[in-house]
Amino acid sequence: MTDVRAPESDPFDPAAERDDPPRPGPGSPGGGAFGLADWLKWAWRQLTSMRIALILLFLLAVGTVPGSILPQQGADPAAVQQYYVSHPGLAPWLNRLGLFNVFAAPWFAAIYLLLFASLIGCVVPRTFRLAGSTRSLPPRAPRNLSRLPRSAEYVTTLPPAAAAAVAAKVLSGHGFRLRRPAAGEDAGATGETGPGNGHWVSAEKGYLREAGNLLFHLALLGLLVSVALGGLFGYKADRLLVQGQTFADTTSALDEFHPGRFVTGADLARFTMTLNQFTASYISTGQQRGQPSAFDARVTYTEQPGGPARTGHLAVNRPLSVDGAKVYLIGHGYAPVFKVTDARGQVVYDQATPFVAGATGNFLSEGVVKVPDAQPDQLGFTGVFVPTAANVGGTLESVFPAADNPVVSLIGYAGNLGENAGPAQSVYELDTAGMKRLTASPQALAPGQSLKLPGDRGTITFTGYVPWVSLAITHDPGQLPALICGMAALGGLLLSFMVRRRRVFVRARASQPGAGENGTTVQVGGLARTDASGSFEAEFAALAAELKSAHEQAAPGEPAVSPQPEGE
Amino acid sequence: MLRALPVRTRRRTAVLAAAVLAGVLVVVLVTAWPGGGSGNTTTVDGNPSAVLYTAGHRPLAPGFTGTTLTGSQLSSSSYRGHVVVLNFWGSWCVPCREEATTLAAVAGRYRPAGVSFLGVDVRDTTASAQAFVNQFHVGYPSVGDASSVITADFSDVVPIAGTPTTLVIDRTGHIAGAVFGTVTYSDLTAILAKVTAKGG
Amino acid sequence: MPVNVALGHLSNAFMIATLIIYSLSVFAFAGDFAFGRPRRAAAVRGQQEARDREAALATVGAAPGIPGTSGSAAAGTAAPEASGGPGDPGVPAASGGGGAAGSMPEPAVPAFRAIRAAGRWVIAAVLLSSLGAAAHTTTVITRGLAVHRAPWGNMYEFVTALTCVAVLFFLYVLIRYQVWTLGVFVMGSIVVALGLAETLIYTAPGDLVPALQSYWLDIHVTAMTLATGIFFVAAVLGAVYLWTDRYTRRVAAGQATPGHGIIRRLPSIEQIDRLTYRTVVFGFPVWTFGVIAGGIWADQAWGRYWGWDPVETWAFITWVLYAAFLHARATAGWRGRRAHYVQLLGFTSLIFNVMVVQVFIAGLHSYSGVAG
Repeated sequence: MTDVRAPESDPFDPAAERDDPPRPGPGSPGGGAFGLADWLKWAWRQLTSMRIALILLFLLAVGTVPGSILPQQGADPAAVQQYYVSHPGLAPWLNRLGLFNVFAAPWFAAIYLLLFASLIGCVVPRTFRLAGSTRSLPPRAPRNLSRLPRSAEYVTTLPPAAAAAVAAKVLSGHGFRLRRPAAGEDAGATGETGPGNGHWVSAEKGYLREAGNLLFHLALLGLLVSVALGGLFGYKADRLLVQGQTFADTTSALDEFHPGRFVTGADLARFTMTLNQFTASYISTGQQRGQPSAFDARVTYTEQPGGPARTGHLAVNRPLSVDGAKVYLIGHGYAPVFKVTDARGQVVYDQATPFVAGATGNFLSEGVVKVPDAQPDQLGFTGVFVPTAANVGGTLESVFPAADNPVVSLIGYAGNLGENAGPAQSVYELDTAGMKRLTASPQALAPGQSLKLPGDRGTITFTGYVPWVSLAITHDPGQLPALICGMAALGGLLLSFMVRRRRVFVRARASQPGAGENGTTVQVGGLARTDASGSFEAEFAALAAELKSAHEQAAPGEPAVSPQPEGE
Repeated sequence: MLRALPVRTRRRTAVLAAAVLAGVLVVVLVTAWPGGGSGNTTTVDGNPSAVLYTAGHRPLAPGFTGTTLTGSQLSSSSYRGHVVVLNFWGSWCVPCREEATTLAAVAGRYRPAGVSFLGVDVRDTTASAQAFVNQFHVGYPSVGDASSVITADFSDVVPIAGTPTTLVIDRTGHIAGAVFGTVTYSDLTAILAKVTAKGG
Repeated sequence: MPVNVALGHLSNAFMIATLIIYSLSVFAFAGDFAFGRPRRAAAVRGQQEARDREAALATVGAAPGIPGTSGSAAAGTAAPEASGGPGDPGVPAASGGGGAAGSMPEPAVPAFRAIRAAGRWVIAAVLLSSLGAAAHTTTVITRGLAVHRAPWGNMYEFVTALTCVAVLFFLYVLIRYQVWTLGVFVMGSIVVALGLAETLIYTAPGDLVPALQSYWLDIHVTAMTLATGIFFVAAVLGAVYLWTDRYTRRVAAGQATPGHGIIRRLPSIEQIDRLTYRTVVFGFPVWTFGVIAGGIWADQAWGRYWGWDPVETWAFITWVLYAAFLHARATAGWRGRRAHYVQLLGFTSLIFNVMVVQVFIAGLHSYSGVAG
């Protein structure tokens, strides 16, 4: 945001009343009869004042801070739960203030809505004003140009009228918008006296600056609308997919589904996708040993039910566009395959079970196996998957993230999983409240090895492992508009910073009697507003030199007959 | 500044336009407030998740074929002419355990009336599903739908938001009623009573 | 591709050379203060001139005579921008009082002549800074060649690259606006930043995690590096401004004696203000572009262009604060001191993002390569 709000109260912008102190009388609450309309007017004027906008900007900056420091419900609900556990006294208060969901909190919305209302209140009138100024002329030349920030003066033998005409030609050649004295506007009308005082040129250039400034602010509005568009008509979903599995993009096949307000499950793209193979490569030597170097997921997908099957690659930073949605590879892990036989000898569980890597690194992963239909008791296991196992001081640790020496370590439980009724449970947690621990210490298994459960409860076999990936499926119709608005904002910013609005005035006067030569004194004055690049100085110098040489060329030797002015 | 127009009026227009725009923005963003999606279907018996479709507005059930838990092939076309209760379930799904006995009871009661029950086993493995079937003595077959493709086809015509979901398909192959979530005995029998009584 | 160890060592050697040469250039800039040509008289004249112009503009602002104008308010405010005197008060200024032959604005003094005119110490300082910048650039390039990627993939590389940008940008400012006396502050800060990076967060050359293997990394982080380098210069200038401003106010209040040994040799406070503003104006679009490119990258990597990840949040805070600076500079009651505090706050948030958020706050951007 640049200085769209009538900044450096601007000689170019006569209607810049932004910085004016509140006027007494009916314009401010200090006045006598102050009705609701007056209050509204007053509030609107306050809201759209630069000072309030500035304060709102600060509030916006300050308001976002807790969102980066406290865990956020949207990004990491588990961390919020953790915070409740570690700060039982403080957490409910923070929650009441919306600090666990800052970016959806009413007070945060209030800040940015007020800011954007303020912005609209500023930009729209300015747009009207810019539209007006493109049809109006630059102001008349001031009397004494030598008092302008940039000025030059020289003498020419051309008569004043001709000198002004030549100057006008030079300036219009540079794309300046010109103003010459109107018929009745000569000397007398402006209160100027003396012969020839009416020969002047006003020139102005750089309207694009304001246009760029407005474009920037309007683009920010557009950006906000684009974000809203995504919130209304977009969706975001997650799905964990084990290698070899297929899923159809429908609500009940998704692990999480966050639809926009006007989105239902029926709006999901109707593709199916199979994870054929996932490979993760890791650096195996040197200081960065264990750091991932590449991920690649090979998938087969159909864009429509019954459509042709295509193959594709998914990698980090390389999403796949399918039927209007985009599919991203956002995570991966190991899913050890377990086969559980219960007391009757019946296979009651035989599947790959996704384990999730913990914070300890090298993909030491944790997971849970639940066997609700084992007889006579339900069975449960908490497990750790160690991709490259090593015995470090008696404990099992992973020394490399690739599965070079995979081992699972299991603790078995029997009893009631607590799943026959009640709320849905996490598939990564085992509620052992109603269960009996079967083994005192964790039992380590290599692929192919089995663990016989005590009390003839059956066996569990670690048959192998497959990788899994987590996919994000998103659709955001506001994305392209947001990109366009972002680019427009940048373009507007560059325009408003690089273009400078400047005025150049030329006055030609008959030299004072007694100055000797009977010539014309040409005064050139220049004025630039918010010259960010600081190069108006050089531009003015070049322009003045060009004007001088044009006058010299137009008047070889003796004062010539004034040429017919052009463009009048 | 244009001299032709009164400055006051122009300014007032601009300010008014700005205020209106600001108001519109506020309204748009307030409606954009994060909120859940909503299903909009006709309901029955005051229970919003038990739905009965009025005749003439019943969506046509998509056809499907699949492999049952015991390994045989099954096609939806073989059920034509019967009222079918189609139950989407999974051994991993806690509410499915709750409704399993209800379904068994209703199935027993309506078998004489010619109502067939059929399970669609969603996101499951044969071993776990078969263990579930044994555990709850489920007497009717289930088609495996590990990839949710069958579920997705049905989601095109009825808003299946999750598992379990139970659909009642009339004799013409149209979906006449649905229970989204756990079925209760009364809801399901109420729907079946109407679908079988109408003879449609 | 494996890391080229020899090039990595070469890069480290150039880094040491850079630090030594920069330190010498700081000495030379400081020497100019101690022994260089006096500039005070000229400076005073330059300021006087600027003041005259401001006064002149007060009338001019109203003169165009547009109906319904708030001409009087236009006076002093447009002046700071318009009163751009010649860069270095030491260089002869284009003076106003024209005789019968008239007066033409003088063309800008060419850089080389200006440097020569500034004296032996300045020549040495500029030469050393340029040499150091060359060594610095070589450090960055050889590092990039050693790791086969853009050499700003971890925090150490980021600091190395951003200080390189800061030096190159400052050299441009130094020569373009002939503000030799600011060299000691900017180059001094560069030496400190680079020295801290070298001793505290040195990271051996290495590969990047897959999340960073994207050409959007090059675009996004390059823009952020450029912007940070530019904002670094702005922050130093802002600090100099605040120091000068404080002194000026103390003098006005009778709490300090005029003629501070260092401050009297600095460019006028208006010029420092203008330079700072221009620097921020240059950096702000680059930062904006960096944020947009980051959004595009985030969209490719994570499926959303904006998700209030802690690093995104702080980039946003930084953006808002710099935007506030640009607005504050145009608001009565906020110009000058307050605006510069806002600017420094913006830079603080930027540094906080790099040094604290990316290292200690869990998020998607935790790639700093620094052990938290």
